[in-house]
Amino acid sequence: MLALLVGVARYAACFHYAEIDLGRLWVGLPKLLHWTAQAWPPDLSELDLLLFRAAQTVAMATIGTSLAVLIAAPLCLLAARNVIPESFVYHPARWLLDLLRGVDSFVFALLFVAAVGLGPFAGVLGIGLHSAGSIAKLWSEAIETIEPGPLEAVAMTGAGRLKLVSYALLPDVLPALLSTSLYIWEFNIRSSTVLGLVGAGGIGQDLKNAVDLLDFRSVATIILIILAMVTAIDRTSAWLRRRLI
Amino acid sequence: MLSDVSFTIMPGEVVALIGPSGAGKTTLFRCLARLAEADDGEIHLLGRSIRLMRSGQLRTARRDIGLVFQQHNLIRRRSALHNVLAGRLGRVPLWRAMARRFKGDDRQRAYAALDRVDLLDFADRRADRLSGGQQQRVAIARVLAQESRVILADEPVASLDPAAAVSVLSLLRDIAHDRGITVLCSLHQIDLVPGFADRVVVLRAGRLVTDDAIKNFRSLPAGGDIYADQGEQ
Repeated sequence: MLALLVGVARYAACFHYAEIDLGRLWVGLPKLLHWTAQAWPPDLSELDLLLFRAAQTVAMATIGTSLAVLIAAPLCLLAARNVIPESFVYHPARWLLDLLRGVDSFVFALLFVAAVGLGPFAGVLGIGLHSAGSIAKLWSEAIETIEPGPLEAVAMTGAGRLKLVSYALLPDVLPALLSTSLYIWEFNIRSSTVLGLVGAGGIGQDLKNAVDLLDFRSVATIILIILAMVTAIDRTSAWLRRRLI
Repeated sequence: MLSDVSFTIMPGEVVALIGPSGAGKTTLFRCLARLAEADDGEIHLLGRSIRLMRSGQLRTARRDIGLVFQQHNLIRRRSALHNVLAGRLGRVPLWRAMARRFKGDDRQRAYAALDRVDLLDFADRRADRLSGGQQQRVAIARVLAQESRVILADEPVASLDPAAAVSVLSLLRDIAHDRGITVLCSLHQIDLVPGFADRVVVLRAGRLVTDDAIKNFRSLPAGGDIYADQGEQ
């Protein structure tokens, strides 16, 4: 009962910390409506540039996810108990992937912009590092749930760990691994639309510029392009999933 | 828990290990294969102590130990042939295992093993599309391709219907006699023992209670008694 009361009190405190203020929403709402009215018709004068930026966004997410897959491949094996029972490897590997996963690609991108300069390359590195953690975690969990029997049977032929992984483990988990990678790719397409806000390239940069200039007709164009892009990628991903799995 | 379990099997002997479920049969097998660690005691296989081996030595030693499991334990999404070829993994270089490119010699052994268990026509069938009896025969073919000198079979017929059970056991026995392979096979159906094994070892509540040649088997307590005593321990 006490725990419940404490829980409710903490939840109520969240309203305070989050500065929930319906009055401000009431005042701001007409502004939004006004802008929405101003956003029509969308400004298509810079369509070429915006489509290029959209392509850049997709490229950033795609290469970033590929980088993540490359990093996750060894990491997920080190972080799977049934492949590496040795705690002194397993725990550091888990710790590393939790660290990568815990820092958002947005934050990584912010750091990489400072290190390698403005542009999509920083975004690729940010996505790559953060997603490596997510992919490795999901993959290692997929690996840990497979039946131990077939692995033991192959181990009994005198095969070492690498043979075990490549011959007996991969065929079983490959569909799950592919499915996870496609899911993360979709996710990265959506999240990379905002990476431009920290200067890491892609269409997000144009979105921020347009909002800062109160150029709502361009904002409308950008949002429509993002929606079309995300929908197209989701469809492609679903199609790939059917084909591959 | 196992204790006071001590026995020796001569090369080429076929020994049935019987006992009620929970008697420790599976634990014994796992210790013999070192899939589980025994706390104490000695396990010698082909003259070498299994318990003291380092991992590299263990891998080499395991080539000589074929293990047949109750649940077949095939790689489900791979063909019967690929599962049988797994038996060669202890002897091929890593890159061949990774690329799944086996030498003609290894493939021939795998086909011969499939032929021996009458599944040559099913070589390309995915393991999870085979019947239970067929899967167990593929598992035996894997052990054949492995060319182990010892076969440990842990309840290999427990999940099979009676006809498939008889055929799998006679296959095991014939292979043992043809090639001089030593077999230790656990069973809980006592009626299957005569005609299969040369010798019977009875395990009950983790202890060895009987170790006798098969010709004396009929003078052992009747099968029902072996199970009935379980409650007293």
